[in-house]
Amino acid sequence: MRALPIGCDGVVEISIEQLTVEFAILGPRSRLLKNRVIAQATGGRIMASAHDVVRVRAIDEMTLDIREGDRVGLVGHNGSGKSTLLRALAGIYKPSRGRITVTGKVGTLLAPQMGLEQEASGMENIYLRGYLLGMSKREIDSKVDDIAEFTELGEFLQLPMRTYSQGMSARLGFAISTAMHNDILLIDEGIGAGDKSFQVKAQQRISGLIDRTPIVVLASHAEDLVKRLCNRVVQLERGKIVRDEPITDKPSEAEAVASALRDAG
Amino acid sequence: MFRDLTHEVLPRMTDTRVMTAERPEAEADADLIEGLRRYEFWTRFAFFEVRQRFRRSFLGPLWLTASMGIMVGVLGFVMSEISHQDVAAALPYIATGIIFWGLLTSCINDGATTFIANASTIQNIPLPISVHLYQMLARNLIVFGFNMVIYLIILVIFRPPLGLHTLLIVPGFALYILNLAWLALAAGILSTRFRDIPQVITSLIQVVFFVTPVFWSVETMGRRPAFVHYNPLYHLLELVRSPMLGLYAPLESWLWGLGLLVVGGYLTLLLFRRAHARLAYWV
Repeated sequence: MRALPIGCDGVVEISIEQLTVEFAILGPRSRLLKNRVIAQATGGRIMASAHDVVRVRAIDEMTLDIREGDRVGLVGHNGSGKSTLLRALAGIYKPSRGRITVTGKVGTLLAPQMGLEQEASGMENIYLRGYLLGMSKREIDSKVDDIAEFTELGEFLQLPMRTYSQGMSARLGFAISTAMHNDILLIDEGIGAGDKSFQVKAQQRISGLIDRTPIVVLASHAEDLVKRLCNRVVQLERGKIVRDEPITDKPSEAEAVASALRDAG
Repeated sequence: MFRDLTHEVLPRMTDTRVMTAERPEAEADADLIEGLRRYEFWTRFAFFEVRQRFRRSFLGPLWLTASMGIMVGVLGFVMSEISHQDVAAALPYIATGIIFWGLLTSCINDGATTFIANASTIQNIPLPISVHLYQMLARNLIVFGFNMVIYLIILVIFRPPLGLHTLLIVPGFALYILNLAWLALAAGILSTRFRDIPQVITSLIQVVFFVTPVFWSVETMGRRPAFVHYNPLYHLLELVRSPMLGLYAPLESWLWGLGLLVVGGYLTLLLFRRAHARLAYWV
């Protein structure tokens, strides 16, 4: 039996009904007000090419139910709608049609290294990122030792981020982003970080986090990563679900470590 | 002391969020309110940003005060020579004018780029989008606070006739800030959609600076020219400048301030409701 977060007594679930997400990709020219005005003035005939707005339907009438205990691996090619679906679930992208009902507190792991402040120290970044992810000061205080220890950065945490190597920044971003517990966790690829030994540690941490979280949705290109961490695979193509099935052939622990090392190498 | 806001707003487990395209207006309004409730978050980041700007410098944010002091001092000296005015009259006028005008321009200029500058946060972290607006306003208010030190120094030296009516600064300043808030939000939305707008705004504000009595005064003129009389920014400025100089702002300026807030605020709300769902795609 999986341990649920404290105070958890209801049902965590995600229900997606007939969801369509469309958006306009604005070309540089359609962003120019001038062309808008000219297009108006010329009746939109001459400058018809000024409307270089491409409408993209990233999610196309999708219906999907995700229940407690589901670890969904979203797979599919670039542009198949994986990231858009995660952003829609997080409430960042709004539906164009249809409905998403989410019960439970949502956490995201969309871009762990994004927005770390180069001039601030590692320690300050732990707090800033914590606030950004919705933690209170007390919550961060209680986790800061765990995060610091996990990064293995030691004294470096007192130095500005700009003195860090790429691997060090990656570790920090990863450690902070994985410190928070939520009912629903949305992960967008690139969850590995750092050198080989760290890769294995990161792997264990993410497995632990996934075990403690009632619902996980992970978008990835790597089928074997999905096999390792998920129990259900949903394949997208052009914003539609083309495959939705349980994963039964779980790789063993040894295989998992070997594969993590391969990813790192 | 630090209450856990997230859990109050998003109570664990009882929270069910329904996202549809059915009521975009309600979502936009909720965003503005929910953003306000995250005040702990954006005040913290606003302070961080100001500290960040002056990290490793000796004077720190006092550089703001120092450069404002030099600007006001030189301008006061020059203007009092040109218009044969007493420095004691010219300096407080110029100081308040420049300081409040600075708040206005930085709110509008920063407002224009606030969503664009926070693009990666907006696209990756679920937060009400309005927190970026509030954070920008808070940051500029902090900078304004450092600039106000100059006013306090001038207050001590020149002693303008302050009295009970100086308290009108409270409603005056509230009206001023609320007007700046909608101006900044409108600038932010339009700039995110049309990338020429920030440039337009920057150059426009520079021009408006000269046609608005910020450092020069209408006192020396026989009558107020139309570009002052019908200049909304002049009236806004009067609301905050007059009380600080121990004067009453004309009733007309109060009406302008209120009218602008109602009309501009409402139009901006409509704009925000229309754009809210799309801002994350536009940035």
